[in-house]
Amino acid sequence: MKRPVLIALLLVSPALHAETPRQLLDTFSAEAARAQPGFAPSAQRGAALYRSAFKHSRAMPACTACHTDNPAAPGRHAVTGKAIGALAPHANAERFTDPAKVAKWFHRNCTEVVGRECSAAEKADFIQFMLERS
Amino acid sequence: MDRIRVWDLPTRLGHWLLAATFLVAWVTGDSETWRLVHVLAGGAFTGIVAFRVLWGIVGTRHARFTHFVRGPGAALAYLRGLLTGRAPHFTGHNPAGAYAVLALLSLGLLAGASGWLAYQELGGEWLEELHEGVVNAVLAVVLLHLAGVALGSLAHGENLARAMVTGWKRGTPGEAISGSRWPAALLLLPWVALAAWWMAR
Repeated sequence: MKRPVLIALLLVSPALHAETPRQLLDTFSAEAARAQPGFAPSAQRGAALYRSAFKHSRAMPACTACHTDNPAAPGRHAVTGKAIGALAPHANAERFTDPAKVAKWFHRNCTEVVGRECSAAEKADFIQFMLERS
Repeated sequence: MDRIRVWDLPTRLGHWLLAATFLVAWVTGDSETWRLVHVLAGGAFTGIVAFRVLWGIVGTRHARFTHFVRGPGAALAYLRGLLTGRAPHFTGHNPAGAYAVLALLSLGLLAGASGWLAYQELGGEWLEELHEGVVNAVLAVVLLHLAGVALGSLAHGENLARAMVTGWKRGTPGEAISGSRWPAALLLLPWVALAAWWMAR
């Protein structure tokens, strides 16, 4: 590929990187299966992770501290009070479509709320739970 | 040469508050736990930058842009002089430092604007990327500034960091400023608090 074309592609790469939540789920599942053969994502384990009170952070003891008990409902930042759009893709079509954004927020929220990085298996379970319509 | 009063109090207080708020905003930038502290520090930082721009117009002589900003040739000549050990001494900002001031102020305004837009979610994720990029540029200029202060201090045998604390520097009596302008410094504090509150609201 010619260099100017490559640079142009790099510049618009955020748009090109758009994926579906299902594709992201498959990516994390595949990564989890490498460490854990036969891995299949579980919405139940994802729900348990989502509602688990890690209590690592005083202000944000669990995911639900900001995102409420229902991922399809709008949330509120526990520290700043700012509105947060719903997490579940069926309630908010932007969710889990940008791999860079997903990576950034899994990193930020896992380290601050869970107290460590999340595994690929946990991320797959989490997205599987988000895809469920309750 | 005599020791004379060069930096007024608003310039000195603003300088150190700017450094402190930048440090706080820098270390809290990636954290949701510290998000409010980050936004307050960033608001204070932006308020100080805006104040400094105004003070660069109405402040005392060594704080005024028209007094210390010279052409790029002067800055290059000064830097060459630093390397060869023949840099001329300037009572106020040297011509190279002047560009660090201009870069920090313009990047600082950009950092504040992009941070505000990102916090209000008035743009996409790209706005946060822009904010991070601008802030990294600010840090780069800060590091250059620190290197310049160290080099300049050695070259002129004058502790420039201490001068920014005390306000006193080497110079001729005719170049001295008449007072420390403490009322303006007193105004700076509520202004900074207002800017911090405004950014976080």
